[in-house]
Amino acid sequence: MVLILGQVLQAQQTDMNVILQTIYSFAFIIYLFYAQKIQTLQMLRQIEVTLRKVKNVKEEARNQTVKTLVEIGKPSGDIAPRVDRFIDFFSIGLENMDPAGIVDKMDHFLKTNKHIYEAEVKALAPNATPTERNNLENLVEVSQALNIYYKVIRHFYLLGKKTMNIYVIMQVHMILPQLIQMVEAYASGIQAFQEGMPIGDSVGAIVAAKLMHGYTQRDIAEEIVAAEVPYEGRTLVVFKAKGPGGSVGNPDEGLINVLEERRGKVKIIITIDAAGKLEGEPVGQVSEGIGAAIGGSGKEKFKMEEVTNRYKIPMHAIAIKQGMEHVVAPLIEPLFDATDKAVESVKRIVLDYTEPGDTVVIAGIGNTIGVGQ
Amino acid sequence: MSGNQGNTSPTAGMTASWVAYAAILIVGLLSLFSLYMGFINYADNADIALVYLFIGAAGFAAIGYMLFRSKPATTKAEALEVKKAEVFTTLECPKCQQKRVRDFKRGDYIYKDDEPCTRCDGMMIITKISRKKEEEKKKDESSWL
Repeated sequence: MVLILGQVLQAQQTDMNVILQTIYSFAFIIYLFYAQKIQTLQMLRQIEVTLRKVKNVKEEARNQTVKTLVEIGKPSGDIAPRVDRFIDFFSIGLENMDPAGIVDKMDHFLKTNKHIYEAEVKALAPNATPTERNNLENLVEVSQALNIYYKVIRHFYLLGKKTMNIYVIMQVHMILPQLIQMVEAYASGIQAFQEGMPIGDSVGAIVAAKLMHGYTQRDIAEEIVAAEVPYEGRTLVVFKAKGPGGSVGNPDEGLINVLEERRGKVKIIITIDAAGKLEGEPVGQVSEGIGAAIGGSGKEKFKMEEVTNRYKIPMHAIAIKQGMEHVVAPLIEPLFDATDKAVESVKRIVLDYTEPGDTVVIAGIGNTIGVGQ
Repeated sequence: MSGNQGNTSPTAGMTASWVAYAAILIVGLLSLFSLYMGFINYADNADIALVYLFIGAAGFAAIGYMLFRSKPATTKAEALEVKKAEVFTTLECPKCQQKRVRDFKRGDYIYKDDEPCTRCDGMMIITKISRKKEEEKKKDESSWL
């Protein structure tokens, strides 16, 4: 068949050559003028595929949130419209034109935000226990985050489609892998917050819980619990967010209260927290350093640095490395195992940098969901 | 979510993908034909044949590039879903050290006094909650790093 076709074509070679060369020349000219347009359409298509998936994930998160609120909170009426309204809730960032005093403003802002979340979730789930309410607040936050990702990607997609401006489209296309990674991370957090499971960010709280379990505990600040633990002649004041509900507490206030109680007579402070790993670093690697190992808005870090500087107390940091996909997902085994290594690191730092009779403050930072004490 | 959502419907995506596949098919057929013409003309007219061969090869290179550019993002995005992980709870009896592992259930938390020990009169405590270990990723060429 092919041979016959070849013979026929050979017979009319000259005509065919002309036709083919015309087609290719035409294709070349089209490509010359429309290459960017083709690339733009291709990028738009990739964004569209992602957008449809993000939409599915966002809607699934919203449905799971409503389902869990109904299951746990047993509200009387239909809560779906209120959930939808709250998922679209926004907070306006602080004006930092004159940055003096912004930390106190941030403190007030965060407290207002927390109050709103507590009140909304209480109204949505009136029969939930305080622990369950904390978990539900986290679940609503996940739905909100996914909703924002969806709206931002949709914004750039529609804007790009409207203007067909490659630079508008490229803005979102270039960061599409990171966006997918973040959406995946939030999606894996839904199960954890629904069920109240420990998450990757809970490692700091687990380390503190392992050190303080079995000792007398007391509340030292809002949602912060502490215990005095004797170790090799030293006194370890260990604190963490009060579990097992999903909360990070106010560790800055906890540290300030402990230091003021002891009038600054503390030899060293050790903070333990989850930290983002660089590509190539193994999950669950425990690294040691100095400074305040704490994320969040920066308000907590600022206040912790301020009080330690006031009393001139060295601050050690222990970071448990993990990927973005682990932070809010149910805790994986290598991360749980890393908490044992972190406990050993804490004990070694205490022995290396303090003498018997000294007091050491140990802060387990992070979300304490699914972690008691 | 209300409001204008553009062509985010599945139909729009399907249309776009059909257009892309049709374009790939046409370019592929033309490239194949061009390569064929190159081969049969090589003995008689080497100059023309080389042009054909070059055009055919360029066509296949363009197809490869199109697939290379579009596939990873699409595949990754398709993997986006709300997954359920298998999570296990480990209980230990502080008195007799008996250990038990079971599926996680709502209300479990680390250091919870959970259930009476089946071997002694102690109370079993939850000591660990974690997700099933992820499968070892296939060793790739960058494992020496």
